[in-house]
Amino acid sequence: MATTTATITLSSSDLLSDELALSTTATLTTAGTSTGVTQASGLSRKTTSAASAAAIQANVLYRAGDYTANGANKVYIKNTSVIASEFYTVTIDQEEIGRLYAGDWMFTPWNATSGTKQVFTVTIAGDWLAGETWTFDGITATSADATEANFAALIHTLNYPNWTTTYGGSGVAVVFTARYASDATEVVYATADATLVTTDGTAVISAAAVGSASESDITIRPSVHTAMTYETMLIHQ
Amino acid sequence: MATTTAAITLTSADLLTDALSLSATNTLYKAGTTVGLDQTTGMARAFLTATTVVDIFPQLIEGSIAFENKSSWVYICNKSEDETEFFTVKICENVIGKLYAGDFLWMPWSMRESVNANNHHGDITVAPSVDTGMAIEFTCINEGTEYPTENLVTS
Repeated sequence: MATTTATITLSSSDLLSDELALSTTATLTTAGTSTGVTQASGLSRKTTSAASAAAIQANVLYRAGDYTANGANKVYIKNTSVIASEFYTVTIDQEEIGRLYAGDWMFTPWNATSGTKQVFTVTIAGDWLAGETWTFDGITATSADATEANFAALIHTLNYPNWTTTYGGSGVAVVFTARYASDATEVVYATADATLVTTDGTAVISAAAVGSASESDITIRPSVHTAMTYETMLIHQ
Repeated sequence: MATTTAAITLTSADLLTDALSLSATNTLYKAGTTVGLDQTTGMARAFLTATTVVDIFPQLIEGSIAFENKSSWVYICNKSEDETEFFTVKICENVIGKLYAGDFLWMPWSMRESVNANNHHGDITVAPSVDTGMAIEFTCINEGTEYPTENLVTS
C-alpha cells in the first residue's frame, strides 16, 4: 500500500497576542482503515478563459459518479493567479463553499455522493435485415444480418458518448445506463433520440427509469473571463 | 495588519511512479486585497458525546449575513485516534466529506445562503459517527464575525 501524508501549517506571529503555530499531519488512508489510499488523479493544471464576462462558465472538476461514494477522498485545489482580485468560486452541488483568491489553496475531504443514473432497455425485435440501422446518442449501429440477437450484440459493442451498455450475451435486449447521474427529462430525450431505418424491425425502449442529480459534483467558476489558472489533485480510494 | 500563512505539503514516495512532493503556501488576505486577515474565532476543541449535528460557528446569524463573500478560512481536524471514527462535515446541509481519525480540512468559506432556501445560511456543521466521545478542533480566520445580539428573555 502507498503511504501519503498531508501536512498543514498555520502560522502567524501577530494575528493574536500569542503566536499561532499549528502543524498537523494526516496519513491518507481508506475509509475506516489504516490502509493507505492508492489512487490519484495526478496534479493537473488548467487555464480558464471566456470570450466575455457573460460567457464565463463553471468547470466541473470532479463528478461524484466517477468515484467511490463515502470514500476517504481528498481534494486539493489552488488558484495560481497573482492578481489579488481574481478568484475561483468553489461549489459542491450548487452550494458555494468559498472563494479561492490569488494564491489560495484548499484541501478537503470529499464524499462523492452521486445521484442515480437513468436506465432504459432497448429490445431488438421484428424483422431486421442486413444494412438496416438503429441510431442513438449519435452512434449508428448497422445490422450485419437478419438475426436480431446478433444486432443486439452489435449494438452493445459500440461506444456511446453518454451511455454505457449491458448485454446478457444472448437475446435481443440491451440495457443502456447513463454515464452520469442526472434528473428528469432525459428518458424522454432517449426515447425520442433513437432513430430506426428499417422496414419491419422494431427497437422498443422500455423499463426506462429517471435518475437523480448528483449531490456532490465539485465545480469552480472563475471571476473573470481573462485567463486564470488553477491546479487540482484528487487522491481517492 | 497581521500576516498569517497557511501551508500544505503533500508527499508520497509510492502513491505514483513519480514521487509526490507538493507544497503550497498562501498568505491570508481580506477578499480581493493584499491586506492580511486580522480576526479569528480562536482554536476550539470540543469533545462530542452525541451523534447530533453541531453548528460549529453559530455566530453566523440567520438573516444577517454581514460577512457573506468576505474572506474566511476554516480549519477542522478530527482528533480521534480510532481509525473507524469520523466526522461528517456539511455546508448548507450538503455533505462535503468525512474526516476520519487524524484528518483535517482547510477551506475558504463564503458564508453564502443556501440555494435550497432551507434557512441554512452557509452553516458548517459536523456530526460525530459515534456517541462514545470524539474530539475535534476547529478555527475560523476571517475578516470579521457578526455575533448574536443579547438573548433577551420575555415573560
